[in-house]
Amino acid sequence: MNRTEIIGRFAEVAKDPLGYAEEWKARTGKKVIGSFPMNFPGELAHAADTLPMILQESDEAITVGHGVLFPFYCGYTRSMVDQAATGKFEVLDAIMFGDHCVQLLGAADAIRMKLENTRVIFFQLISSMCDPWTQGRSEESFGKLREELEDFIGRPVEDAALHDSIKLFNRNRTLIRQLYEMRKAGTAPLTSVEMQHVVKSSMVMDKVEHTALTEALVASFEAAQPRNDRNLRLHLSGHFCQAPKPELLAMIEECGVTVVGDDLFHGFRYISTDVPETGDPVAGLAQWYLDRNTGVPCPTRVQNNVDWDAFLLDAMRDERADGMIVLMAKFCEPHMYYYPEVKEAFEKAGVPHLLIETEHEGMALESLKTRVETFVEIVKRREAA
Amino acid sequence: MNIAVQPTNTKKANKLASTRIAGKLVNEYWEMVWRAKEEGKLICWYEGSAINPFLEAADICWVHGEAYSAMLAARHQEVKAQQVAEERGYMRELCSYARTHLGCAVSNQRLRGDGTGAAVPDEDDLTWKLPAPDMIISAYAYCSTGQQWDEMTSRVFGKKVPIFNVSIPWIWGAKPDAAYLQGQEWEETSDYVAKQLNDMVAFIEEQTGKPYPWDRLYELMADIKRASELRLEAMDLCTAQPAPASFFDWVVSIAPINNLPVAGVKDYFETVLAEVKQRVATGEGAVPDEKYRLFFDGIMNWNKVGWLANKFANYDAAVIAGRYTHMAFWQEPKLIDPNAPLRGMAQNYLICPNNHASPILIKLIMDLCRKFQVDGMVIHASRTCRAFTNPQFMIAETAQRELGIPSSMFEGDVTDESFYKDEVLNSRVEAMLEAIESRRMAGAA
Repeated sequence: MNRTEIIGRFAEVAKDPLGYAEEWKARTGKKVIGSFPMNFPGELAHAADTLPMILQESDEAITVGHGVLFPFYCGYTRSMVDQAATGKFEVLDAIMFGDHCVQLLGAADAIRMKLENTRVIFFQLISSMCDPWTQGRSEESFGKLREELEDFIGRPVEDAALHDSIKLFNRNRTLIRQLYEMRKAGTAPLTSVEMQHVVKSSMVMDKVEHTALTEALVASFEAAQPRNDRNLRLHLSGHFCQAPKPELLAMIEECGVTVVGDDLFHGFRYISTDVPETGDPVAGLAQWYLDRNTGVPCPTRVQNNVDWDAFLLDAMRDERADGMIVLMAKFCEPHMYYYPEVKEAFEKAGVPHLLIETEHEGMALESLKTRVETFVEIVKRREAA
Repeated sequence: MNIAVQPTNTKKANKLASTRIAGKLVNEYWEMVWRAKEEGKLICWYEGSAINPFLEAADICWVHGEAYSAMLAARHQEVKAQQVAEERGYMRELCSYARTHLGCAVSNQRLRGDGTGAAVPDEDDLTWKLPAPDMIISAYAYCSTGQQWDEMTSRVFGKKVPIFNVSIPWIWGAKPDAAYLQGQEWEETSDYVAKQLNDMVAFIEEQTGKPYPWDRLYELMADIKRASELRLEAMDLCTAQPAPASFFDWVVSIAPINNLPVAGVKDYFETVLAEVKQRVATGEGAVPDEKYRLFFDGIMNWNKVGWLANKFANYDAAVIAGRYTHMAFWQEPKLIDPNAPLRGMAQNYLICPNNHASPILIKLIMDLCRKFQVDGMVIHASRTCRAFTNPQFMIAETAQRELGIPSSMFEGDVTDESFYKDEVLNSRVEAMLEAIESRRMAGAA
């Protein structure tokens, strides 16, 4: 496949993740396990010879789901219950999760009630990240999830298989990080929509298949020369559980912007950190869980000795970004809590940023475009001054 | 009779006279808090779980964030704090308890802390008056907002205030042995939280520089256990018809059981129980003419306690029990051993009204509806308290399916009055009461 075909394949899977899972299941005869974002390690389910896929917000309008969760919930959780209530999750043999966001818990609870024949496995991960017992409790949580998984598939998940899965996932993450480095350097001029296709499809596809395609994609850029454009260099921040809508990302880039970095979950956050490849694999997964939050701090966790705002400012310096657009999914509580810290830190540092609140139901892109264009103009004038 | 055309505001709730004592105790408590810095006391801010006995025993002044926000809302003084929070960037869709309390933190920091605040504060403005914390303890069951709220509070104070986190896991209850207060998950989780409480005591010792006075905690927990038993006994008497006390009386009685100094609490509930017994003996009801018995699902709308009590009284509807009042606040005194209270305290924190997943939670609610023989359910969809709204559609469905009782949902909020729509509540409650009437007529035919 050439570069265009690879990205096209990733886009296809990103557009219809459940369709991919159905096709994979029909082809392999194996089980599919869905997980909620953002911290369940797919490695566990992969080592059990199943397809782990992170469940994605659907583009479809919410219908039946309105009778399950109130409209003042984030689009991701409402879409999850809607997909469950309208039979879209038939392909899933089980759902596993370990997170703690109150809206996710509500969605999981409702999904369990709606999908009586689908096993929903849960063990809550500790979200306080710098307690003396955080590592131990995380190991216990992943151990419990492993036990439940073994019970579900009816056989043990061997350490050797888990080590192999960890190596494969690390390889996949490493390759995508290479793409990020290349994009930053200008040798891989991937748009933010294309980058989303790469990452989102990685959350869904068979890792072997995805890794092979990503290797080819990375190779296709290796000889490229840095491209210099006169666009504003921008960092995209926020948007945790669900992917920002591609049309929104495309609109931003139409405003004379090149996205050079991000900390989106459907972006760098997902692939930021590798799992240790030696030692006890469950302890390694726990270590990964902790390392991720020091690497790319997440407002869904609490860690008093780590600052997301400081991370963002550092990342922007490294990316030579001129400004940042914050994408906040409407009703996302963790983001709403942390945003004032980011706002104050950026104002203090004199770094421009623009907040855009996104909605499941669609947005008035034209009026948003005016705001982005104005932001771009302001940043350019400031830099020229 | 057509309920919808009843004249309005003709009947009022027959509130328990003894709940006036609660108001007095609440005022005295907050006066004590406002004086605490001047009296040289250490101050701890916390939200969620009632860890106040741990602090009271160590002579630390305790400030429960929700209680402060609720107090401001009940006095209709919450708007200033919410505006200050909004100015800093906290959005309106955030938990209004947290938003109000964070507004107080920001205001306090501006006016007392960093010296960059502008005007001299108005003495009557309670937003800034809350004394700054010397420590923060986060011990929040179920709702992720609690832990994030505490973390952000710490950051508002420049991360200079030491913070301790107790993680309280959600009870998922999927194993075959899982049931209320039962099963391996329950036992393991109880141990996990108890262990952290022990570590929390070590944190308190670090802050006070003194050995922890365990004997004092044992004394306080003996009193709380007794107060809880008295409260539950009084609540149970409301199976009587007419019900001698209402959900709104129990709402007013939350502060005494949840966060007031322990010394007055046992006496308070003895007085309440005596009045409830007296009412049962004389057939005096919490509403003048009880025709309907309702269950209230959801958290309280603190700006509207008296308003709602009178509204339902005017509909001849006794709101008798609720998830908020009847499934929380030292709800299981039998688990507390005053001479070794840690595990029982942990377990009471674990059974906050939201911390069990739906299969267990909904069964408990249905049991309460049966016990109090309710005709319908009022569901308060609190806009910014998603911890309470999460299972509400499932609760309504189950009530209809298992008990054959109708529900009525209205949107409001814990402390942000702007989300409350009175006419929506009126029309929906009236429709539900009509449905109850129709069912009765059909049953009698």
